[in-house]
Amino acid sequence: MKVFLAALAFAAVVAVGTAIFLGGIQQQSSSAFSTSGARVGDPGNNLMVPG
Amino acid sequence: MPGSLSTLKVLCAALALLFVVAHPAAAQLSFKPTAEAVQEDKLLNALKEGDKITGRVSIPDKMSSSLIQPAGRDWRDFQRSTLPIIGGVAIIGMLAVLAIFLMVRGRIRIEGGFSGKTILRFASFERFIHWLTASCFIILALSGLNISFGRMLILPLFGPEAFSTMSGYGKWAHNYLAFPFMFGLVAMFLIWIKDNIPGKLDLQWIKQGGGILANGKHPPAKRFNAGQKGIFWIVIIGGVLMSLSGWYLLFPYIPGDVTTLQIWTVIHAVIAMLFIAAMLAHIYIGSVGMEGAFDAMGTGEVDLNWAKEHHALWVEEEQAKGQAPSGTAPRGVPAE
Repeated sequence: MKVFLAALAFAAVVAVGTAIFLGGIQQQSSSAFSTSGARVGDPGNNLMVPG
Repeated sequence: MPGSLSTLKVLCAALALLFVVAHPAAAQLSFKPTAEAVQEDKLLNALKEGDKITGRVSIPDKMSSSLIQPAGRDWRDFQRSTLPIIGGVAIIGMLAVLAIFLMVRGRIRIEGGFSGKTILRFASFERFIHWLTASCFIILALSGLNISFGRMLILPLFGPEAFSTMSGYGKWAHNYLAFPFMFGLVAMFLIWIKDNIPGKLDLQWIKQGGGILANGKHPPAKRFNAGQKGIFWIVIIGGVLMSLSGWYLLFPYIPGDVTTLQIWTVIHAVIAMLFIAAMLAHIYIGSVGMEGAFDAMGTGEVDLNWAKEHHALWVEEEQAKGQAPSGTAPRGVPAE
C-alpha cells in the first residue's frame, strides 16, 4: 500500500511540476502570435468554465 | 465644388436606396445564401485529396493560413463515425470476451493450493514503477475516453455544466499526467527489458495456450511467460506511439501543418482504444482471473506453489541463488 501511495504522490508531483515548468516557459497565444502588424485577441480565461 | 460633390453623393445614395426598394428581388440576388452555398460546395468537392485553400498571414502561426481543408471533413467523419465503432468493438468486445472466459473457464486456481511459503516476485521499486504507470494510465484512459465519447455518453446524463467542469479538469489531468506516464514507461523498459526478450520457450508456451485453457497443464516459463512478454511489448510499443502522438497534440505547432496534426490525432485515438482493450485483459488476469496473481504487484511476494505452476524455471533459478524457499511446497489445507 505504501508503494502504491508513493507512486500516486510521485505522479502528482511530476504532473504539477511539469505544469509549473511549461507554464513558465510558454507564452500565451495572444502574445506569442502577435506582431507589430497583427494583434491576436486575448482569449481570457478558460472558455469552458466561467473565469 | 465640394458642395456639388456632396450633393452628388446624396443623390447617388438616394438612387441606390430607391433601386433597392423598387427592386427587392434584384437587390437580394447577389446575397442569396443558398446559391452561394451550392457554389461553395461544388468548389469543395472539386478539391482533390490533400488540396487546400490557403491564404497569406502575417502572424507567426503559419498553420492559420489554411482557410479551407476538405480533408478535415474526412477527419471529422472519422471522429464521429469510425472511431466509436473501433472503440466499441475493442473495449466492449474485450469486456464481453473476458466475461465469457470467466463464465466458461472460471477463475484459474492454484492447483496445489496455497503453500504458505512465499517468494519475492517484484521488488519495491518495480512495484512503484508499475503503479506509477498504471495509475497514470487509468486516468489518461478515462479522461481520453471522455474527450472522444463524453459528449455522446456523459453530457446527456450530467448536463452541460457538470460535464464542462469535469471535462476541463480531465483535460488538465490528461495533459500533465502524460509526463509521469512517459517517465514510468521509460523506467519499465529499462528494468524489465532483460526478462522480456522473446525466445524458443515462448513458442512452446503459446502452443500450449499458456496452460490457462485447461487445468493441470503449465508450460515452463522463466520470470515472464509469453503472455506477460506480450503485455510488456504492447505497453512499450503502444506507450511510445501514444507518447509520440500525444507530444504532437500537446504542442500542435510542431507538426507544421493541419493535415499532419490530424493524422497524429487519428493514431493517438486508434492506438488508445486498442491499448485500453489490451490493458483490460491484463487487469483481468492479474486480479479476478487468476488466484494469487495480484499478490505479485500487491505485496510483491507470491505463493511458492503459484510461482512453481506459472514460472517453474524462474523458481529454480531463484532457488539456485538461494533467494527462494527450497523443497516441495506442502499442499494447503482448506479451512473447515
